Amino acid sequence: MPIIETRRLRKVFRSVQRYPGVGGALRSLFTREYVDKVAVEDVNLTMEAGELVGYIGPNGAGKSTTIKMLTGILVPTSGEIHVAGLVPYQKRKENARNIGVVFGQRSQLYWDLPLRESFELLRAIYAVPRAKYDANMAFFSEILDLDEFMTTPVRQLSLGQRMRGDFAAAMLHDPSIVYLDEPTIGLDVVAKEAIRTFIAKVNEERGTTVILTTHDLADVERLCQRIVLIDDGRIVFDGALERLRMEYGTHRTLVVTLAEPCDNLTFPHTELVEQEANVVHLRFDRRKITAEHLLRLVTERCTISDVSIVEPEMEDIIRRIYLEGYRTQAPTPAS
Amino acid sequence: MTAVRPYIEFAKVAFTREATYRFEVFTSIGSLLVRVYLFRMVWQALYFHNAGIRALTLEEAITYSTVALLMSLVMDIDQTRLLVSKLEDGSIATDFMKPINIPLYFFSDGSGEVIFHAATIVPSLLLALLIVHIQVPSPLVLVVFFFSFFLGYIVGLLLNFILNCVAFWTLEISAMQLIVTWITDLLGGEVIPLVFFPPIVQGFIYVLPFAAMYSTPLLIYVGTIGPDEYVRVLLLQVMWIVIFAIASVLMWRFGSRQVVVQGG
Repeated sequence: MPIIETRRLRKVFRSVQRYPGVGGALRSLFTREYVDKVAVEDVNLTMEAGELVGYIGPNGAGKSTTIKMLTGILVPTSGEIHVAGLVPYQKRKENARNIGVVFGQRSQLYWDLPLRESFELLRAIYAVPRAKYDANMAFFSEILDLDEFMTTPVRQLSLGQRMRGDFAAAMLHDPSIVYLDEPTIGLDVVAKEAIRTFIAKVNEERGTTVILTTHDLADVERLCQRIVLIDDGRIVFDGALERLRMEYGTHRTLVVTLAEPCDNLTFPHTELVEQEANVVHLRFDRRKITAEHLLRLVTERCTISDVSIVEPEMEDIIRRIYLEGYRTQAPTPAS
Repeated sequence: MTAVRPYIEFAKVAFTREATYRFEVFTSIGSLLVRVYLFRMVWQALYFHNAGIRALTLEEAITYSTVALLMSLVMDIDQTRLLVSKLEDGSIATDFMKPINIPLYFFSDGSGEVIFHAATIVPSLLLALLIVHIQVPSPLVLVVFFFSFFLGYIVGLLLNFILNCVAFWTLEISAMQLIVTWITDLLGGEVIPLVFFPPIVQGFIYVLPFAAMYSTPLLIYVGTIGPDEYVRVLLLQVMWIVIFAIASVLMWRFGSRQVVVQGG
């Protein structure tokens, strides 16, 4: 049985229509027109226990709204939602015991308290037995290096320290599901790495189910076997990272170093994207022309001293999907 | 009992937090003493020019105002205002993700604050006694007064909670709160004892929830409300608590379904 299941999940936010200017402000005082904004249109998501899924999409695509419905904060406008057998918004408190949440932009630690006391308070909230608590703290401290700032009030922590504290806070009660909403935002390389190691370890060693939303695709590439892409409130891709690369990474780049100047650099299904001194970047559609064929055409015309092929960057693939939309470019399998 | 543990912890945290604002404690006691002095001057001036109403003697009026000011040390605390600020900045989201009863969390946090401020009543009273002389009623009256004060406090607490819940729909409630504060100031009997109002309106004002907050305990203290009326006035306070409690539950139930989390 899947641990997370949503069917035709939809969320519409209703807000008062605003008009521009002073006159408009007065007008909106007296008229009550509403505008509906669809944040999530139709999300069908199924996850098995122990999966680590990257949930990605551009800003405003509906990622956070989905997470908030899964945690039980927001009530869906329509559709079904089950998390570990519970309907989150109906059984918010029971659901809360099963989940851990980290928001990159918002802390769940208690601002006025030293970190250690925040943890103690959470221990009371979740009624974590002392032995379990001590074991967990030892495990977290080791990976996240919490000891150096355990007695510092949360308001004085650096962003990286606070995030590490937030991760420990979210995992203190051994949740079976963890939602991570942009957890690496604004962190430096070292802190990012510590956080990634932590996520991977928790997923592997404890079998925790993880949903990770992020704009940093390095997170996804490092951690997720499966990615779910959401755009305009709909899931536009759901599958292995490799498959996305295969289906959308249709273009590669042949980088050639010319031994001597060569004039005519136009080849079929190929675009000259960059030329710097004698290094030429040729972007080609690998469904229409093979690298080997292109290389042959190049060598027929020019003398080259070096050659390499650049695989498409994940970043570029995702950017293309965001820009061009998913449906407009029906995936044709590579030949 | 693990079920109440978290709430005791919340109250403790709030108590400790309040205790760190030492300067605020001193200024609130200082401003209280100034007001005690001003009220003494005002009542003396009014009574010397025979403008006082015979419903209370000068000494009773001064006692009334001083006790009212001491009560305000805890009555003025909006125990659940955390709700509004959390709705405004969106941090309510993290509370919804915890296995806690959220209104109870706000009440506990506020309780810690109230308990701290209640402790400042004693030094304030001792200092106030340097400025004014206040009457002390019999022990029985004192017990009834404290009970009625407690009920009045609950009425105010629930009224504030209902107002704070409006923020689920509007986010902004300060103007509305200001209006309610003015009405409470006028009709609650904190500033002007309700016995000074024209007899025609008095019967009407006493039934309102505002009178249940300040006026009822204060009139018990000064003896205007005698023992034969205790049951009736206390029941009236209880009635408002029941009505406001029901309204609170409904407001919370419908309000919390409205949550729109601000900012991402």
